[in-house]
Amino acid sequence: MSRLLIVFLSVMLSSVVAQADHHIPNLGEKATEFKDEGKEAHKRDGMSHAASLILQRKMHPELLSHKRDKTLRQGVRGGVIQLNKCVECHTSVDKNGEFIPVNAPDQFCSTCHKKVGTSLDCFSCHRTTPAEEL
Amino acid sequence: MKELNRRDFIKTTTATTAGVATIASGITLTTYAALPKESNPVTNEKRWGMLIDTNKLTESNIDDMVNACQEEHGWGDEAHSTGDQKAGWIKKVKVKDKATERISNLALMCQHCEEPPCVDVCPTNASMKREDGIVLVDRHLCIGCRYCMMACPYDARSFVHETLTDQKTHMPRGKGTVEACTMCVHKVDKGEAPACVASVASDAVIFGDLYDPTSKINQTLKKVQSTQIRADLNLNTGVRYSGI
Repeated sequence: MSRLLIVFLSVMLSSVVAQADHHIPNLGEKATEFKDEGKEAHKRDGMSHAASLILQRKMHPELLSHKRDKTLRQGVRGGVIQLNKCVECHTSVDKNGEFIPVNAPDQFCSTCHKKVGTSLDCFSCHRTTPAEEL
Repeated sequence: MKELNRRDFIKTTTATTAGVATIASGITLTTYAALPKESNPVTNEKRWGMLIDTNKLTESNIDDMVNACQEEHGWGDEAHSTGDQKAGWIKKVKVKDKATERISNLALMCQHCEEPPCVDVCPTNASMKREDGIVLVDRHLCIGCRYCMMACPYDARSFVHETLTDQKTHMPRGKGTVEACTMCVHKVDKGEAPACVASVASDAVIFGDLYDPTSKINQTLKKVQSTQIRADLNLNTGVRYSGI
């Protein structure tokens, strides 16, 4: 019985360690500021902020590809979902004050994409840092 | 169980409705104010076009147009591409009448055909025409087969041969896809004129809605003689020329 208990406890412990390993990705310059100010990013109608964030995490590819077709094919511009807005908030700045590409290793996009093993194809064409005039 | 009489029922329902209305209206107001609106889809009530008057257009005007296009879209500085590999969204073309030896210079770019051959041949539907007549490449779908480049009678399209960085935010470009003049669709959607049109100070290049009878381009086309390049192909181009 005591052996079983030890096995059970070690399984529990390892799962806790595995959870602790799940670190929060580098949010990026503006997004961190935004979060520290206590503002609720990606908040959706009739949804708690936590639920909205989960939706954003799970659904961002669908949201973006839906919007990309609307923009390119129908000329629908503006609105909430824009890839350049993602890049604007989620890029970090290096020691020299220059933007690090958002798809560089350990940056916002690549952290999760590496972890889940999905390739990131947006940035073979799209700009990886905020626009020059910003 | 307590029996609910008519008066009590009305009282509670009114109070609840009023309460919900107050709270809900508050929520709607704040969320709507925070969310930027999307613009409406474009329609076929408009057709964007351009009229280039080669009598008024000087050679330096054409150079200005090319430079403005390069600056707007960020093409032309591909370091590893040589010769025909280089991007050319807008080109300076010299035409000579063999009989009279008259030389005219024109700026040649995507002619934004009503019936574009590039769209006909595209196997993935990446080459497409918007409702308002602007012909574009959907690079999300483009597989880089270059059929469209073969099909285009104007040699208006280019292929990106190398990995690019620091693209313009409004103009994503990448290796392995085909690209061409977009008639500065990002500016047109904002109500501005394309970069090449804005770079010419005289009225040698006119941009506007071909269908709108009050537009300058429509009125000018009614007055002056104009041609489409390779009109024999019946493509009904959006870019017209006068003086050739």
